[in-house]
Amino acid sequence: MLPGRNVELYGGLLAVDGFGLFFKVFFLAIGIGIIAIALEYGKARLQHRGEFYGLLLFSILGMNLMAMSRELLTAYIALELLSFSLYVLVAYGLREARSNEAGIKYIIIGALSSAVMLYGLSNIYAALGTTYFSGIAAALSSPATDNPVLWVGLALLIVGLGFKLSAVPFHMWAPDAYEGAPLPVTAYLAIGSKAAAFALTLRLLAEAVAPAGDRWADWQLVIAVLSAVTMLVGNLVALAQSNLKRLMAYSSIGHVGYTLAGIAVLGDDFALAAKAVIFYLVVYAITNLIVFAGLASYYNSTGKDNIADLAGLADRQPFTAAVLAIGLFSLAGLPIFAGFTAKFYLFAAVADGGFLWLAGVAIFSSLVSLYYYLQVLRQIYIEPAAPESGTEGDAAAEHGGGHHDAEPEQDSLPVPMLPRPSITLSATMGVGVLAVIWLGIYPAPLLAVIEFASSAILPMG
Amino acid sequence: MVPLLYYQLLSAALFGIGLYGVLARRSAVLIVLSIELMLNAVNINLIAAASYLNGIGRVIAIFVITVAAAEVGLAFAIILRMYRNRGTVNVDEINLLKW
Repeated sequence: MLPGRNVELYGGLLAVDGFGLFFKVFFLAIGIGIIAIALEYGKARLQHRGEFYGLLLFSILGMNLMAMSRELLTAYIALELLSFSLYVLVAYGLREARSNEAGIKYIIIGALSSAVMLYGLSNIYAALGTTYFSGIAAALSSPATDNPVLWVGLALLIVGLGFKLSAVPFHMWAPDAYEGAPLPVTAYLAIGSKAAAFALTLRLLAEAVAPAGDRWADWQLVIAVLSAVTMLVGNLVALAQSNLKRLMAYSSIGHVGYTLAGIAVLGDDFALAAKAVIFYLVVYAITNLIVFAGLASYYNSTGKDNIADLAGLADRQPFTAAVLAIGLFSLAGLPIFAGFTAKFYLFAAVADGGFLWLAGVAIFSSLVSLYYYLQVLRQIYIEPAAPESGTEGDAAAEHGGGHHDAEPEQDSLPVPMLPRPSITLSATMGVGVLAVIWLGIYPAPLLAVIEFASSAILPMG
Repeated sequence: MVPLLYYQLLSAALFGIGLYGVLARRSAVLIVLSIELMLNAVNINLIAAASYLNGIGRVIAIFVITVAAAEVGLAFAIILRMYRNRGTVNVDEINLLKW
């Protein structure tokens, strides 16, 4: 596929262009990362492992089609393919009550959101007679179109997409689904389904609505308000969490808020926002991958996922602790890590687009998020490791000072070391950390590739 | 002919009734039934629009019927697992995950 040549498949339903190609490679890389996280976890805790990987592959197919689709029904079918696989994956812990509860909540709210999105699609079709993005753009650009059914349809479509992105009034499924799902599936929800929904939203807004000019300006304000509320709620509620997976859920809601701010400033002649959004998605995916890989290596060793359980991880599993520290610093947006570069580009694009107040809210939320990331790091690096863990705790307490005999060379309570992470997890974490630091210092090659991708949907940028 | 607006009002009314059902019902089976009602309201909207515009809305409606059937199959599989674990399909009683 040569740069600059765009091909359409199936009479305009799917677009084979730079945008689709970039996101397909991106989703496949995400799939490789999730499989690396799931290998050891699956052997220990999941039944029916074959179907797990099969569902993962189907959902990657759905994500690929979402990035390529140029028409509402194709986008909806691809979205449903991804969602159905995720509904089953979230409920995959068959004996765990939390996994089942997460599955119920996710599928009911997900089905509700897909019905809402479909109702929006039907209204758009009833008003315009077409569901192609180019047809919607043509209809919106002409001032003769003034059909209230069309506005209701567009609004419901954005509501349906907002559910998938877990933007704020529609985010209630996310913390429960993230906390109950098995850890690799939580990572996949955080990274994969969000990136795919953003790819679809980017293409939908850039091709269907942004060419409309002043009509788009009204919708920009709506998306900007959604983004501000999402950022604030996601980061403020995260301050009160004590479960790691739930904390990551609210943190990812905050990141969705930042990315939505970038989407709000999209414009037909303003492609910096599209590049910043895509760069932010890539950095967010890599950073979350290493954080979840670190959490997976800790969970594989101990089976615990509360923040307080991480106490003293720096002594027990130093490599994992370092990787978690780098990942959380990058998520908070501290320099030399990729999170800083991504946030810098994104907030600069938002400020350039005219939404200074939104950039201010984003910076404030970023500061707030630093607090809860540092809470986790405080547990890892500053809190001492608990001397006993699990069932050994009761036995040691009965024997009083019995554990002193086991480790005579230690002058104080011995630190229960954890086994090293497995080869695949270590490799994933190593490659991810290198990528985070490299993208933080020298993002230019990736930005050139993203330029190629975003110029396919915003040709004038 | 009956104006298109009447069909759209019927579809909106059914959609609203389905939405009320999803929000107010306690049994998971009835919630899934209400979601089916919402999807059928969408179908009415699509088919009415296609008849007036002589377009491809009928094909979209067939896709929607298929997706709705698959969704209900999945939902009932998960509800069945919940019933086997807990003995109830009352969604008020599943509250391990809070805040």
